[in-house]
Amino acid sequence: MMDVKRRYVIPGDIIATGPIRPEQNVYQDGEKMISTCVGISEIFENSVRVIPLTGAYMPKTNDLVIGKVVGTSPLSWEFDINSCYIGFLPAQDVFGRDYSPTKDELKQRLDIGDLVAARVANFDRSRDPLLTVQDRDLGKIDSGELIEISPSKVPRLIGKRGSMIQTIEMATRAVITIGQNGWIVVSCDDSEGLLKAVEAIKMVDALAHTPNLTERVKSMLGVPAGENNDTIND
Amino acid sequence: MESLIIDQLKRERIIELLKSGKRIDGRSLDEQRPLQIETGVIPKANGSARIKLGNTEVITGVKIQPDKPFPDLGDKGILICTAEILPLADPHVEPGPPTEDVIELARVVDRGIRETEMIDLHQLVLIEDKSVIGIFIDSSVIDADGNLFDACSYASVAALLSCTVPKYEVKDDIPSLVEGVTSKPPVTTLPISVTMARIGDYIIVDPTSEEEACMDARMTITTNSAGNICALQKGGSEGFTPEQLIQCSEIALQVGTKIRKQFEQLK
Repeated sequence: MMDVKRRYVIPGDIIATGPIRPEQNVYQDGEKMISTCVGISEIFENSVRVIPLTGAYMPKTNDLVIGKVVGTSPLSWEFDINSCYIGFLPAQDVFGRDYSPTKDELKQRLDIGDLVAARVANFDRSRDPLLTVQDRDLGKIDSGELIEISPSKVPRLIGKRGSMIQTIEMATRAVITIGQNGWIVVSCDDSEGLLKAVEAIKMVDALAHTPNLTERVKSMLGVPAGENNDTIND
Repeated sequence: MESLIIDQLKRERIIELLKSGKRIDGRSLDEQRPLQIETGVIPKANGSARIKLGNTEVITGVKIQPDKPFPDLGDKGILICTAEILPLADPHVEPGPPTEDVIELARVVDRGIRETEMIDLHQLVLIEDKSVIGIFIDSSVIDADGNLFDACSYASVAALLSCTVPKYEVKDDIPSLVEGVTSKPPVTTLPISVTMARIGDYIIVDPTSEEEACMDARMTITTNSAGNICALQKGGSEGFTPEQLIQCSEIALQVGTKIRKQFEQLK
């Protein structure tokens, strides 16, 4: 791995100076690279970025998100996707091309308060994100429990090559659907497993910035250390 | 205030748990969230209190000053309660003129204190029909997680109990402040409001915002120290059966007695 310098920064902190490329959450003022958020700065050989410790969800095309129906219009559903943007799911996406507002009733398929796993089909900041449920495993979620974590902690919950989430799923036998927007649905036949999985997810949310987290989650779940050999500790 | 839309899974879970006599936060049906009361939090006010009812947090200030009485109530002092939900309290609150819910909130708090006759307003008269002492109670919700009625009511009662009334002397029909002389407010009883929500056939005390999002009807009952019901407010689109109403009043008395003990220490 490349030599990376990390430190905690707050908005306005100068992370580095010199001919270097500003990436995520960094802006350039002359030669200075300045952080725009609270987070951990990472200085690479020729670029600098800040991984936010907190923040809202910014939609990205192809992201899997979990949305909650908050409204309907004649042609689409409106979703709360835990973002400053409202997600739109066109009626044709669910009813097919012959959808007719006079014939079909949107609320029969998805009503206010329903949870849906969807993918962001298109988003360019000038319009609200367009969602789609046209894929395997997408659509209405019928069972489970919704947990909300900070969207900036989602990569940590998944872990490197999915190690963290695999650990939790294997130890608790729960099925976990992670939305990139920080909403997670956990379902498990065994109520104890469900509670454990929820506890583990909340632990990752609270301690995402600390080292050796996978090991600590494992010991909390009672998994012997080193069982999952491809886990990379950070 | 646009209300919270609760997701279907959580709604089902709340209803499912109620069937086995449990609630989503582990409380029993007639159990209040822990209540923390702190008084004297605003140094410049005549009285103030900050209360935490679970995650709901309210700060209340009392201002006491001479005023003209209402034309039809010349033999009584003035008592006015207001309420406000700050935009930082909840994502659904926007700044601007008070909404219907906030007006209802202020009125229910006011009614609880007024109708139990907590403050003997006759003792606040300086010159009958001309000059009286006015008590202004302003509550601000700084964190909203359901049951704002009880939270604002408790904060107002605590602020009133902790307040000191400055002394005014009347010279040539004009009241003037006597520096350094204060007295306790003329408190006669302790009004305790208890808000209940009906979800299906179950009546739960002190609903959180999630429980409020799936309740069918709401009932706020204020009792005085003697155990009389003095004020009542019903909310929500559906109703209560007569049996449920009786059950509500019994719960209000029972829970009210417990809460009142906490307030008696402030006296």
